[in-house]
Amino acid sequence: VYQVFENVAKKYDVMNDSMTLGIHRVWKDILVHKMNPCPGTLLLDVAGGTGDIAFRFINYVRSVRQRQLQRKLKHHQNLSWQEIFESYQNDKFNNSLGDSQVVVCDINREMLKVGKQKAQHLGYSEGLSWVLGNAEELPFDDDKFDVYTIAFGIRNVTRIDLALQEAYRVLKPGGRFLCLEFSHVSNPLLSRLYDLYSFQVIPVLGEVIAGDWRSYQYLVESIRQFPPSAGLWAFRLLILMALIFQEELKAMIEDAGFFKVDYENLNFGIVAIHSGFKL
Amino acid sequence: KMAAAGGLRRAGWRLWRARRAVVRCQQCPPLRALQASAALRAASDEHKKEPWASSSQQHFESPPAGHQPEEKPQGPHPSYTGQGGQESEDYESEEQLQHRILTAALEFVPEHGWTAEAIAEGAKTLGLSVAAAGLFHSDGSELILHFVSECNTKLSELLKKEQKLVQLGEAEKKPIDEFLRDAVEARLRMLIPYIEKWPQALSVLLLPRNIPSSLNLLTSMIDDIWHYAGDQSTDFNWYTRRAVLTAIYNTTELVMMQDSSPGFEDTWRFLENRVADAMTMSNTATQVQSTGEAVVQGLMGAAVTVSNAGTSRAVR
Repeated sequence: VYQVFENVAKKYDVMNDSMTLGIHRVWKDILVHKMNPCPGTLLLDVAGGTGDIAFRFINYVRSVRQRQLQRKLKHHQNLSWQEIFESYQNDKFNNSLGDSQVVVCDINREMLKVGKQKAQHLGYSEGLSWVLGNAEELPFDDDKFDVYTIAFGIRNVTRIDLALQEAYRVLKPGGRFLCLEFSHVSNPLLSRLYDLYSFQVIPVLGEVIAGDWRSYQYLVESIRQFPPSAGLWAFRLLILMALIFQEELKAMIEDAGFFKVDYENLNFGIVAIHSGFKL
Repeated sequence: KMAAAGGLRRAGWRLWRARRAVVRCQQCPPLRALQASAALRAASDEHKKEPWASSSQQHFESPPAGHQPEEKPQGPHPSYTGQGGQESEDYESEEQLQHRILTAALEFVPEHGWTAEAIAEGAKTLGLSVAAAGLFHSDGSELILHFVSECNTKLSELLKKEQKLVQLGEAEKKPIDEFLRDAVEARLRMLIPYIEKWPQALSVLLLPRNIPSSLNLLTSMIDDIWHYAGDQSTDFNWYTRRAVLTAIYNTTELVMMQDSSPGFEDTWRFLENRVADAMTMSNTATQVQSTGEAVVQGLMGAAVTVSNAGTSRAVR
């Protein structure tokens, strides 16, 4: 795993883009929205070397914090000067993130380097830490984090069950596990069909999202190209395979001790977000 | 194909395990011990020792949390126990934990509103991570429904206590109009600590997704009041009774949102008048038509009045 990623680290973002033609950004946005973090949350992002999830998390928390401060200011209009002075002492008014922090952990030093550079380039300074570590054996204490995320990383882990156990260990009671992953299949024949589906549909979806109705037309035409009966059966099979994979992953997450494990399909099951709580 | 077969076999094995667990545990609820929160509770109320008998009885009443097989609360690898039954005294289901979080969250509603933030703060007071707010919907629906349900339960208990006093001869039986007035007032007074943010809650309760639950809670509360009102002749049939009291309750609630008089005296006076109207209505032949109108007014006016109330409250 390490060698593969060493060469690919710099091109990781480009690779993601070409594979999914930009839609992976939307998926990551959805992940952070589902997380709905409030200021003061401590996030551990595993295998997220280049920092995509981390940056989105910081943006989200920053805007929530802004709204909070606005509300506080409105409330302060009714207070006396003494009370306002006291609240300035108590609150960390200057902290735009409200004490939220994200630790990005990756097995690959190169990925972390790329992530740090990106952070500097985009102007992210506070609330970020970069730690080298293995998902199967995390270098953190028990009960530390509020949220654990792993976006497109769990497929690269050799022992998923160990990674899930580690996730359970480092989360605080009440903490949340979130996993964003392709619902891929290991069977070569079916994965070819899967690729066909992904590469035909996803690029078009990307353009549709960008607002070009002509792409929508293209999508209709390309679907029409499939022989009707074969296409339908292949589609059904794909959905079934994706479902089995998602259910398997859900079962593994439950085995690690998580409760209220659930998954949400994105884009007809190409990608799914699994969520579980340490209760 | 191998992966598929493996997946199916595994799914089948799980199903079989689950069924075995359900069958074996018909005597005791097949609950999976919440490990992390149980440990927290054990740490926090060390001095509070519950007797074994009462706690297991409590667990019998709580509904099963799911079809999962039960496991020991200790250790990272849950093992399949041979015996049925709970392992520890601090044992609770997911539902009970969610209940506790929502109750704790109510304290933060005046400051944060009926939001996920309030729930996060509530979770924090229980020693849980703020991420536990993710257990619930981000618009605060469950929190509001929980609050309404709790208020209705409190009202029931209050009415039951009063009824007992009357039965024991320690109190006079109230005339029907006074009874209805006092019951509605008691129920609405429970909103007072949260009145600033209540218009927001009303609008959430009106969301299509929440209407079945909120309507259910409302009608059962109204039915409850009529049940304790007893067998007093009012010339109303059952449907009319429900509609009349629902209209009275809804309109009074909306008036209360916009009331700035000391001690909400305007609201209580409005309530008194509505109940009096209802009593005189029972003596006229047009009762069915008017109650229909009243109900429609009460419900349809909700959306408009709530938004007005929201802005006027904010200004105040």
